Amino acid sequence: MADFGPVTCAGCGLLCDDVTVERPNGDVRLQPPCRLGVQWFSERLRRPAPAPATISGQPADVQTALTRAAGLLRRSRRPLLYGFEAATVEDARAAVALADRLEALIATESVSASWTGAPAVPLRGTSTATLGEIRDRSRLVIVWREDPETTHPRLLERIGFEGGASSRLGAKRRLLVVDDRETTTARRADLRLRWARERDLDALTTLHLMQRRLRPASDVEGELVALLEHINEVPHIAFVYGGGLTNGAGGQRRALALHELVRALCHERHVVTLALPRGTGTTGAQDVLAWQTGYCPNVDLSSGHPELATATQPLAADQEGVDVALRIEGAQARLPAGAAEIALCSAPAGADVDVSIRTAAAGVEAAGTAHRLDGVPLTLQAPLAGDAPTAAALLTRLLAEIER
Amino acid sequence: MTAIRISGGQLYDPANDVDGEIRDVCLQHGKVVAEVGPEARRIDARGMVMMPGAVDIHAHIAGPKVNAARKLSPDERRNDPVDRTELLRSGTGGLVPSTFITGYRYSLLGYTTVVEAAAPPLAARQVLSELRDTPMIDKAFLILMGNNQVLFELIRQSGGGASARLRAAVAWWLHATGGYGVKLVNPGGVEVWKQGGGNVNSLDDEVAGFRVTPRQVLEAIGGAVHELGLPHPVHIHANNLGVPGNADTTVETMRTLSGRQAHFAHLQFHCYGGRPGGLPRSRAPELLDYLSSHPELTADVGQVMFGPAVTMTADAPVSALLRDLGGGKWLNHDTEVETGCGIVPYTYRAGNYVHALQWGIGLELFLLGQNPWQVMLSTDHPNGGSFLSYPRLIRLLMDRAFREDQMRRANQRAIRRTALRDGLDREYTLNEIAIITRAAPARRLGLRDKGHLGIGADADVTIYHDRADREEMFATPRYVIKGGEVLVEEGDLRRADEGTLLCTRAAFDPEVSGVLKPLFGERYTVAFEHYPVRDPALREPARIVEAGT
Repeated sequence: MADFGPVTCAGCGLLCDDVTVERPNGDVRLQPPCRLGVQWFSERLRRPAPAPATISGQPADVQTALTRAAGLLRRSRRPLLYGFEAATVEDARAAVALADRLEALIATESVSASWTGAPAVPLRGTSTATLGEIRDRSRLVIVWREDPETTHPRLLERIGFEGGASSRLGAKRRLLVVDDRETTTARRADLRLRWARERDLDALTTLHLMQRRLRPASDVEGELVALLEHINEVPHIAFVYGGGLTNGAGGQRRALALHELVRALCHERHVVTLALPRGTGTTGAQDVLAWQTGYCPNVDLSSGHPELATATQPLAADQEGVDVALRIEGAQARLPAGAAEIALCSAPAGADVDVSIRTAAAGVEAAGTAHRLDGVPLTLQAPLAGDAPTAAALLTRLLAEIER
Repeated sequence: MTAIRISGGQLYDPANDVDGEIRDVCLQHGKVVAEVGPEARRIDARGMVMMPGAVDIHAHIAGPKVNAARKLSPDERRNDPVDRTELLRSGTGGLVPSTFITGYRYSLLGYTTVVEAAAPPLAARQVLSELRDTPMIDKAFLILMGNNQVLFELIRQSGGGASARLRAAVAWWLHATGGYGVKLVNPGGVEVWKQGGGNVNSLDDEVAGFRVTPRQVLEAIGGAVHELGLPHPVHIHANNLGVPGNADTTVETMRTLSGRQAHFAHLQFHCYGGRPGGLPRSRAPELLDYLSSHPELTADVGQVMFGPAVTMTADAPVSALLRDLGGGKWLNHDTEVETGCGIVPYTYRAGNYVHALQWGIGLELFLLGQNPWQVMLSTDHPNGGSFLSYPRLIRLLMDRAFREDQMRRANQRAIRRTALRDGLDREYTLNEIAIITRAAPARRLGLRDKGHLGIGADADVTIYHDRADREEMFATPRYVIKGGEVLVEEGDLRRADEGTLLCTRAAFDPEVSGVLKPLFGERYTVAFEHYPVRDPALREPARIVEAGT
């Protein structure tokens, strides 16, 4: 007997909304089973509730903590709002409103950590689709240097591979993995191509040239010729990609090469891409940032209006001179020495945080909206609604406090 | 809320047959009233022109398509930043402004109501979130139904007609999403394109796998909307948009809907003669003839304006063609079960034959049409140009000398193929402008409190200086009053207003859930139970316009 459900699981960007949860003897079990989902619910259902608020590690009441946070932000010369991996759309809307008032820097991509690469889509565009489109049309799914079986455990099931909802394509579809690592996903593949990451740009460019008949197959290695043959055998194809392709130096160029290949292929068949985001809340936060400011993923509001931040470099808090960082439902970043940190998180905020206020965990204690990795907006339910405020509510109070 | 007396202005209120009379208009509690007390604020409008707040019946301002366009072209907004003030949020402008700036700029033009004309129902939560972040204007959105596989299945089951089951499904979908009306975009054609890159070419082409035709979709869903008595009739982006010779398809679509209320979007893009693959020519006069003999049909023009635009449409095959024409940026997004989406930044050039012809056809629709209540102003923002170009478009309609000067700059071969050179000396009057920008769209949307200033109407008023330069006049209203509050004064936003969401409600048999649920289970990757938007913060507050009233 399920304790609750079906609910939406925010354990990864897939936002599976068919999940029922059982809690026998303190364990957490999910139907359909999912390792990440169990971990996500367990963290929220089993952890002892942190203090509602702390100041310099000492318990405090929420209002005192908010007043202290407002003071820090009001005095800040270069505030940063960041995180959002577990944020809701409502949290992000409130955060951008506060960032606008503070003339702050707001970052939905990683800060001073592994960089997910400058976005390539604004350069030329791309072709994308929701999960159902891929499930019901793509006969060939090419996973490019990602391991969704680990990072998004039900992705393959949800796009109609074995164990998933029936795809109207039946058994005619194939999974091809481009990766030189022995990943769980690679082991499930029908076809594998094992070149090293350093060859990705050349491979994608060569495929593009071959597709446009600007490079004869006789000049190209057999692996690439075979890949293009697989592509040309079917009318619908999906490429699944993410940080494995786009992270680090040259990532934007590699992503651009993928999108250009897709565009060229689209002249003769229907080809789409599906990007795997870093955090569950990242897709929604970036959408909010785009509609409220016109830009994403990182926006600098210090001039009194939005400016696109960091087109070609990872955002570094120390180089930006950040003196106060407000972390919203996300993991802690490396901040400059002496910078103060305020955390609004449902997870424990860390001992070295100046002000922390515990928030309700969206999807368990509080309802909200999240955007699935393919952009579909979904509701997160609150099966065990609690008393803790949402980050959105706290951000709104913080704004009022600052404007007082 | 302060009472206001606007005194001595020249009032254009065509819905109440007031054509430039000097009148006082009194406002209280958000409505037009017969009289206000002596304590009321007095706005001296002597020498000024008063009209109801303007209503945009067809624009693209919110939702995943619009937001994807923002992400696709950050460079396009870099030179148009908008600073935060004590009152207003910051943002960026350009052809696809950020949400707050969209609201502010519409308000600064005297618009008080705007309809987002094409939203995937699956994305309703995002559409509602964006509309909540679009202040100053009342707003509504139309949901896309012309390529919905579940509805195809119901249409097939009913043998192509508007069954009770289909009517219930349409009403359910509006209830589930908060949508105001129903939009059909290239019915059947987008599904065919997603299946393999083709399109439908005629209303009787079958959509593979579903055994339905565009004609059946038009009849069934158009019929369902008509029979439900929704405040706004079915809103149609016809098949074969942009294809030379498509006027035949458009007329056939109109015939198919004959006798039912229907609104045709951006008619300019559907008025072409010629043969597919060849050069288009104008068949606007024929379309106007058909409209004039069918008062149940209306249209907005979708005027193209020379300069930059962003094409964004659920008609993804059209975007794929534009991608290949220009070779520039292109974004495609397929939404399961429901629709497609394509975005291509685009520039209309005066010297280009096709673009000049499109410009000329739009003007023909405005100038040759005898009934302004049937042909309304739009640029299909931002497809034909930004809504910010409306004042210029109004000047083109009101100022013959200006129009002829602009014509001389356009491709002459194209202009010769329109009626613009045939002594077309018509100049719109202020009353006609009030019809095509206020009274007609509000009436067509079924918004009885909008588009006029009779007693009981919404206190949405725009007051202009009566300038000879009509572009300047309509670009800079002296006052914009919405819901009885002065939002704009002398070109400045003086007050922030959230605006109201407009929704409709049509009764339906709840048993339809039992029909839809298994079809959802087969086709969607979202659970049926989780599909409807229930969050009060997104759904409320809203003004509900009941169907059948």
